[in-house]
Amino acid sequence: MTGLVTTTPALETRALVAGYEPDLPIVRGVDLSVAPGELLVVLGPNGAGKSTFVKAIAGVAPIHGGSVTLAGRDITDVPAHRKITQGLAFVPQTENIFATLSIHENLQLAAAVLPKPVRPDRIRALYDRFPDLAIAPSRLAGALSGGQRQMLAVARALIVDPPLIILDEPSAGLSPKIVSEVFEMLQRINATGVTVILVEQNVKAALKIASRAVILVEGQIRHEGAATALLDDPILAKLYLGTGHARNHSREAELP
Amino acid sequence: MTPQFVMDGLIAGAMIGLGAIGVTLTYSILRFANFAHGELLSWGAYLAMAISGTIGMVSTTLLKPIAPFSFGWSLPIATVLAILLTGLLALAVDALLFGRLRRRGSAVIILVMASFGASLALRSLLEFIFTSKPAYFTKALQIAIKLGGGLRATPDQLLSLGMTLIAVIAVHLLMTRTSIGRSMRAVSENPALAGIAGVDVRKMIRVVWFLGAALACIAGIMTGLLVQIRPYLGHDLLLPLFAAAILGGIGSVPGAMLAGLIVGLSEALAVQLVGAEWRAAVSFVILVIVLLVRPRGLFGRAA
Ligand SMILES: Nc1ncnc2c1ncn2[C@@H]1O[C@H](COP(=O)(O)OP(=O)(O)O)[C@@H](O)[C@H]1O
Ligand SMILES: [Mg+2]
Repeated sequence: MTGLVTTTPALETRALVAGYEPDLPIVRGVDLSVAPGELLVVLGPNGAGKSTFVKAIAGVAPIHGGSVTLAGRDITDVPAHRKITQGLAFVPQTENIFATLSIHENLQLAAAVLPKPVRPDRIRALYDRFPDLAIAPSRLAGALSGGQRQMLAVARALIVDPPLIILDEPSAGLSPKIVSEVFEMLQRINATGVTVILVEQNVKAALKIASRAVILVEGQIRHEGAATALLDDPILAKLYLGTGHARNHSREAELP
Repeated sequence: MTPQFVMDGLIAGAMIGLGAIGVTLTYSILRFANFAHGELLSWGAYLAMAISGTIGMVSTTLLKPIAPFSFGWSLPIATVLAILLTGLLALAVDALLFGRLRRRGSAVIILVMASFGASLALRSLLEFIFTSKPAYFTKALQIAIKLGGGLRATPDQLLSLGMTLIAVIAVHLLMTRTSIGRSMRAVSENPALAGIAGVDVRKMIRVVWFLGAALACIAGIMTGLLVQIRPYLGHDLLLPLFAAAILGGIGSVPGAMLAGLIVGLSEALAVQLVGAEWRAAVSFVILVIVLLVRPRGLFGRAA
C-alpha cells in the first residue's frame, strides 16, 4: 500500500490475539489505530475482554498473535517493565497502587526509571499537579480514599511524561462527584497533547470527554465511531443488551 | 534455673533470626516455602571452611588467632568469598530449577516439592564432598568472659551477636531507605504492577536470592563457629527458621529478627525447664500457635 497515511499512529494493534491460556483467546483479532492526541474510549459489556486487551498492550497479559506498535515501533515482545521508558503508561483496573508503600515511595519507585538528577523535579511537578497527594506524602497509599488512589495511580503513570496513557476503568467504584473530577483530570492531561485510551463502563460520562469510541464485544471490535455520534445512537443500547447477561443490567440506567 | 539460658537463647536466636530474614525475604517475593534454604546455611559454612583451609595452606600466619577470638584472618576473608559463592549457588539453583518452574506457571506445591528435592540433593552433595563427620573452623579453645548478672559468653559469641546486629540493621536500612529495597517491597506486594511501574521483576528476584543466601551464609558460618559444622547444620534449623519468619510476619526484616530471638529464647527456656529433648518441639508449637491465632505474624500485613 502506498502512503495515504500522513501521521504515524500513537498506538496500533494488528490482529491482536491475547488470553491467559493459548487455546482460549479472550481478545480475538483486534485491529485498532489511535492517532496522536486522541482520547479514545473503549466500551463493552463485562467480560468482553477490554481489560485483557489493554493488559496485553501493556505486557501483563500473554499475546498469542498479532502485533502492537507504539509510535511506529514494534513493542509486541517488549517486557512490561520496559514499556514505561518507551512512552507507554498503563493504569490497571484494580490494585493500581502499592498499598504498603507511602504515597512518596509510590512516586519514588516510578521515578526510578528516570535519570537520577531529574527525579526530584519530576516528583515535585506531580505534587504541584495533584496537591491532594502533597498533603501527607508519608501516608501509606493503602489508607487513601478511592478518588485519591486513582490520582496517585495516574500521577505514578505520568511521572515519565508519557506520550500515551492507557487507563482501565479509572472511575470504577467512585462517587459521581469524584468520577467527574477524574474525567476532568483526564481531559486536562489529554489537552497537553497526551494520547489517552480509556476503558470505561461509565458510558455516558466517558463519551462526553472522548473524541472516538470503540465497542468491544466478545474479544472483537463490534463498532467504531465518533464519540458524539455514539452518544445518541441506539446501537449502543442494543450492543450492550445484545449480550443478554443479567450482570449487565445495572449498566442500562446509564445508557441513553 | 540459671540465667545463662538467656545468653544461650540470644545466641541461638541471633542465628535463627539471621536465617529467618532470608526466609522471609525470599518467601515474600517468590511466594513459596523454600525448604532448601537450610542448605544455604550448611553450604555457606562448608564453603567458608574450605576457603579458610585453603588460605591457611598458603599462609599459616593468616591462621594465627586474632586475640581474643579463636580464629585467624583466614576466616573473615573466607566469609566474604563464601557469601559471594553461596549467593551464586542460590542463583544457579534458581536458574536451573525454580526459574524454569516459575516460567511454566507451576503451582506453589510443585515449587515446594522441587525445593525438597533441591534440599536433599544439596545436602547429599555436602556429605559426599566433606563426609558427615563434624568439622570445626578452629581447634582453639575459648574462655568465657563473665558479663555480670550470672551471664557468661565467649568473645566469638559476643562478636557473632554484634555482627548479627550490624547485618540486621544494614538489611533493614536497605529495605526501607534505598531504591532497591523499595523495588523489592513493590515486587513483594504486586509483581505485575511493579513491572508496569518499570521494575525489572526478574532482576529483583535475583537480588532477593542473593541477599537471602548471603544472610544464610553468615548464619551458617556463625553456627559453624559457635557449635560445629555438619551437613545437617541448616536442615536442623529449618523449622526454627520458618517458625521465626512466620511469627515475625512474612516480609518483615525486624519481625524475623525479633521472632528469631523469641524462638531462640523459648528453646533455651524449654531446655532448662523440661529438658533438651524438647528443644525441637518449641518451634513447632510456636508455628502452630501463630498459624492458628495470628497468621500474619507480629509485623505482617493483613492478607
Ligand atoms: N487473570 C485471568 N486469568 C484467566 N482468565 C481471566 C483473567 N482475567 C480475566 N479473565 C477472563 O477473561 C475474560 C475477559 O475478562 P476482562 O478482560 O477482564 O473483561 P472486561 O475488562 O471487558 O470486563 C473473562 O471471561 C474473564 O473471566
Ligand atoms: Mg475490565
